[in-house]
Amino acid sequence: MPDSWQLTNRDHKAAHHELLTLTASSDCSLRTVWLNPSDNQLSVAEMKIAEESFPSLAVHLPETAWDEREIHDMFGWIPTGHPDLRPLIRTPRWPETYLPLRKNQQTPRWLEVEPDLPALKVEGDGVTIMKVGPTHAGIIESGHFIFSLIGENILHLDAHLFQNHRGVEALLEDKTIDKVAPIVTRICAADTVSNQTNWASAVERLVGFTPAPGTVLQRIILLEAERILSHLNDLAQIPAGVGFQVAHQRALAMKESWQRSLELLYGHRFLFDTVHPGWTRSAPADLLLDSLANLHRQWVPWRQLVVGHHGFADRMSGVGRTTLAQIDRFGAQGVAARAAGKTFDARQSTAYYEGFFNGSVTRSAGDVQARFDVRLDEVEASLQIIESAAGQLEIESPTELEFLVPKDLSGRIVTFTESPHGLNSHDVTLVNGIVFRYHIRSATFRNWPLLAQAVADNAVADFPLINKSFELCYSCTDR
Amino acid sequence: MAKTIRSLQIRHVDAGSCNGCEQELTALTGRDYDIQSHGIDIVASPRHADSLIVTGPVTDTMALPLDRVWETIPRPKVKIAFGNCAIGTGVFQRAYASHGGLADSDIEIPGCPPHPETALRLLCEWMTSHRRSHHTYIS
Ligand code: SF4
Repeated sequence: MPDSWQLTNRDHKAAHHELLTLTASSDCSLRTVWLNPSDNQLSVAEMKIAEESFPSLAVHLPETAWDEREIHDMFGWIPTGHPDLRPLIRTPRWPETYLPLRKNQQTPRWLEVEPDLPALKVEGDGVTIMKVGPTHAGIIESGHFIFSLIGENILHLDAHLFQNHRGVEALLEDKTIDKVAPIVTRICAADTVSNQTNWASAVERLVGFTPAPGTVLQRIILLEAERILSHLNDLAQIPAGVGFQVAHQRALAMKESWQRSLELLYGHRFLFDTVHPGWTRSAPADLLLDSLANLHRQWVPWRQLVVGHHGFADRMSGVGRTTLAQIDRFGAQGVAARAAGKTFDARQSTAYYEGFFNGSVTRSAGDVQARFDVRLDEVEASLQIIESAAGQLEIESPTELEFLVPKDLSGRIVTFTESPHGLNSHDVTLVNGIVFRYHIRSATFRNWPLLAQAVADNAVADFPLINKSFELCYSCTDR
Repeated sequence: MAKTIRSLQIRHVDAGSCNGCEQELTALTGRDYDIQSHGIDIVASPRHADSLIVTGPVTDTMALPLDRVWETIPRPKVKIAFGNCAIGTGVFQRAYASHGGLADSDIEIPGCPPHPETALRLLCEWMTSHRRSHHTYIS
C-alpha cells in the first residue's frame, strides 16, 4: 500500500505540477515543494524519516530517482523500493561512515582505491562496451560515459557524472549570510545570475523586503543577458558537432563580443557577483541599448547563414529525438523540454516578469534541430525583453541600497528562476543568521537521465552532436 | 643549443571547475585571441602534448585521472594552473571533496576566471622567458 507521502507526491505529478525540490535535511526531514503552473501556487509535502529509511517515490516519479540516490549517498538513509540504488556521487574512495550532509562530520581520509563505480551494461552477442572519459579530447567538463553498442548504434548509455563534485552544499552550511553569495555565484558559470538571484530572493523574502523597481528591472536584464550568453555558447557548439566551422567560429566571435559588452556594463564577462540580497549592479540604459544594437548587427547575418544551410539542417533533423511523453515522465526542463512541446517556462511563474514575458518558445520534433531552433528564438525574445526593460529604467539608475539583514534571520524558503538551462530551484534554511541547509536543484540534474534516452538508437558518432544540443553543464549537477 | 620556447601543445583537464575557466579557454581558441597564431594549441591526447592545463580545485574523484594524464605526457613538460581554483586561492578550497588546487604548477594564471587577454599574455611571457633546454624545462 502506498503511504501518504507517496500518494501526495503522485497526485502533484498527475496534476502536471512541477517538482521544484526534494530536500532531505539533517533533522531527519524530507520535503518536496511543487509548483502549480496554472495558478503559481506552491505546495509542500513533508515527512519524518524513521529508522533510517523512507518510502521511495522513484518508480512512479522517475525524476526523483537521482534525488533519492543522492540522499542515500549524503545521509545514508535508504529509499525503500528504489529500483537502482547504486551510488550516484559517492565513490569507493569515500570511507563508509562518511555522510557529508549529516552534521558534525570530519573531512575524510580518502581511501587509496580507484574512484570508478560499477556500470550498467548490456550483455549479449555482438554488444561492445565503449568507455569514454572522465578526461576528454578537448575543452570539456569531466564526465564518464559507458556506452553499450551494437555495431555503430547506441543501445544504452550509462552516464557517470559527479566527477566534479566539490561538496558545495556542505561548504555552504554554517556560513553567515555575507559569506554565501561568493560561493553561490560560482556554482556554475553558465547559470550564475540565476543562482545569485535565487539566493538574493531567498534572503529578501525571509526579511520581508521588496526590492526597488529599478533593481527588479536590472535583474531581468541580467537574467536575460545570461540567457543570451549561454545560448550563444550552445549555438556555437552545435555546428561544431557537425564540422560546420564557419558557423561555429562566427558564433564564438559573437559570444566574445557579447562578453566584452557585459564586462563593460557590469564589470564581469560572466556576470559573477552582480546580484546581491537587497541590491543589484546596474548598467545605464543607453549603454545597454548600444550593446543590443551591436549584437543584433552580427546576429541577423549569422542567423541567415545557419537557417539557410540545408546540409546543416539535414544533420540535425531526426537526430537525438525525445518525445513529450519522455519529457513528462522524467520531469525534464528548459530548452530540451520545450523542444519536444512542453510549454512550461519558469518565467511565466515569476512575478518579476509580469509584462515582460510573452509566452514560451516551443517546437514539437524533440530533436537536435528543435533544440537549436528553440535557442534561436529565445535569443531574439531575450533581446526584446532587455530592450523593453532598459526602456523603463529611470535616467538615474538605482544605487546600492543600505539593506539591513537582521543578525538572527531564521526561516526556510524555496526560490526558483528559469536559468538558461531551465527550472533552477534553491531550498534555503537559515537559523539565527547562519545557513543550516542549502539545497540546489538545477535543470540539468533533471535532464541528464533524459539524454541517455535521447541517444539510444542513434549512431555513436552522433553522440557529441546530441550532447551539445542538450549542453548540460556538469558543475551545477555535480556541485 | 638552448632555444626560446616557441610553442606549447596543451592538454586540458577539468578537475572540478564551474565551467567559467573552460569557456575562457575556448575563447582563447577563437578568432579574437587566436592562440594558434602564437604557437599555442589545445591538443586531443596527452601523447600529443608538452603541457597540461588544469582547471578547478582538484576534486577527489578527478585526482587520480588527473595524475594519470600528467604521467602520460612525455617529458619535458609543464603544468599550468588556470584560474584561482586550480591555483589554490578559489572559493572551493575548503569544500570536503576538493584537494585545494595544484601544489606543483610551473605556471599560474590567476583570475576567476582568468581574462583571455591575461592568459595569453602570461603564456607568451613564459615562453619568451624560458629556453627549451634540459635544465630549465623538465618536470
Ligand atoms: S577559478 Fe572561478 S571561473 Fe575558474 S573554475 Fe574556479 S570558480 Fe570557476
